[in-house]
Amino acid sequence: MPALLEASSLVKQLGGRRVVDGVDLKCEAGQIVGLLGPNGAGKTTTLRMLYGFLRPDAGRILVDGVELGRDLSKAKRSIGVCTQDDTFDGDFTVEQNLAVAASYFRPRPSDLGRRIPELLERFDLGTYAAQKPETLSGGYRRRLMIARALVHRPRLLFLDEPTTGLDPQARMGVWDLVDGLRAEGLGIILTTHYMDEAERLSDALTVLARGRVVAHGTAKGVLGDLVGEHVIVLDAAAATGVAAWLRDRGRGEPAGVLGAWHVPVSGEELADFARAFPSLRYEVRVPTLDDLFLKLALEP
Amino acid sequence: MSWLGAAVDWQSRAVVMRHLRVYLRNWHTAFLPPALEPVTMLVAFGLGLGGYVATLRWQGHPIEYMTYVAPGLLAYATFMTAIFQSLFGAFIRMRYQRTWEGQLTTQIELTHVIWGEVLWAGLLATMYVVIVAAVLVGFRAAGLIAIQVAWLPVLLPVSFVAACAFGALGLCFTALLPTIDHMNLPVFLLVLPMGLLSSTYFPLEHPVLVTLNLANPLYHLAQAFRGLLLGGPVAAPLSGVAILSAALLAVLVPLDLRLLRRRVLGD
Repeated sequence: MPALLEASSLVKQLGGRRVVDGVDLKCEAGQIVGLLGPNGAGKTTTLRMLYGFLRPDAGRILVDGVELGRDLSKAKRSIGVCTQDDTFDGDFTVEQNLAVAASYFRPRPSDLGRRIPELLERFDLGTYAAQKPETLSGGYRRRLMIARALVHRPRLLFLDEPTTGLDPQARMGVWDLVDGLRAEGLGIILTTHYMDEAERLSDALTVLARGRVVAHGTAKGVLGDLVGEHVIVLDAAAATGVAAWLRDRGRGEPAGVLGAWHVPVSGEELADFARAFPSLRYEVRVPTLDDLFLKLALEP
Repeated sequence: MSWLGAAVDWQSRAVVMRHLRVYLRNWHTAFLPPALEPVTMLVAFGLGLGGYVATLRWQGHPIEYMTYVAPGLLAYATFMTAIFQSLFGAFIRMRYQRTWEGQLTTQIELTHVIWGEVLWAGLLATMYVVIVAAVLVGFRAAGLIAIQVAWLPVLLPVSFVAACAFGALGLCFTALLPTIDHMNLPVFLLVLPMGLLSSTYFPLEHPVLVTLNLANPLYHLAQAFRGLLLGGPVAAPLSGVAILSAALLAVLVPLDLRLLRRRVLGD
């Protein structure tokens, strides 16, 4: 079965700077691919190219077998987009927003008379159907944004930081909805700054840094490749000799968080460290995507 | 997809329909101003100022000032409605309501958004002209003005084409100006001078202004409307409207697309 989304060798230059540099990405039906990276890594530009907002300078994007550059309109018929910022139509009510969004697609979404009430119910928006979107809470606005992106029954859904700014309960509500959409066979590309969200929802992660893919795979695999097997956490003030120990291994200054150093190491390095600093107090924990972000942010 | 062909794509129509739907929802506030404006203008300029001017000569014939002003009002409504819609209306949709961004995540492309705005400016201005024309028919029935009302329907397609060109002009400023406060620049430096120095409210005979007005589509529009409604020359001013409107659209729509691609898409 062909992938719903297949992007290869994407390049984009903005303002004289190469923002995206040879990115490959793939997403299959019923799969959530998390697109991660620190600020300025090229996530939003990549995403905008994938859903047809920006034209790549080079590279190829296939959406459901249709090449985006050749038949943008046909490719976009299979795509639903929930942007990072609310872009619903403030001139219309919640229910009208769904109808207006549907009017922007051909062939027209079938059976709208049933589809709209179904979405309102599924996203728990029925009570607010006649209200203007600006009267909704943050969580319900995001629900409306996702419902709007689904009104034409797309096969591929782009979720650009769908839970940013939401309280934990609202975030988990959105997670449930996204999980349900995956179960129905939608391919989903998700960007997020919440590492727990990426780990819990994504079947695969693609990590970008400085416009390039630096890792792809499962969360565990990506962390093992990019961060290490363990993270040593120790008080920076008491870590005499640790900086020199790291330098000897060709490593730079470790990430510092609130006076503590977080040092990613392999199993072998951990054993070496224990031998080198027998009386030092430290803790060892498993790496998280936060460590990955810190590592990528510190790299030149 | 060519920029010109996009004008007739279903996506451009979908954008126009969206704007029309919003407009019709607020019909009671949307229809009243265009109906009241000509009444105010005809009373202020026609009865008020007209009391001092009484009659003037147009095409060698004496004419009541109020009758002279009536076709000018239709041209002025075309211009002002279209340009204000594409200046303020479009800017608000682009910048504050983020309507365009929402549309661009669908099968609508930027060229359609632009044509949608241009065609909507044309349609809205034409609807306003219908309302102003209805008021003028009332004034004609009351014997206050002497226009040939049978020609009023002919004005509508002319008004639509010219308004589309004015809409494309307004969008240019929408693409360039950083904030809504900067709208004062085109309003005071272009819109008001162009609106008032176009023989809409009074005849211009100064040779410099007459020469400048050869490149002013609003001047030709006012002259064409006057020719149709008062029985004067029509071919030359209508040709002027057609040529200048086509030229403006041919130059400004691709320019709008280029400017807005950079502004909206960051490309």
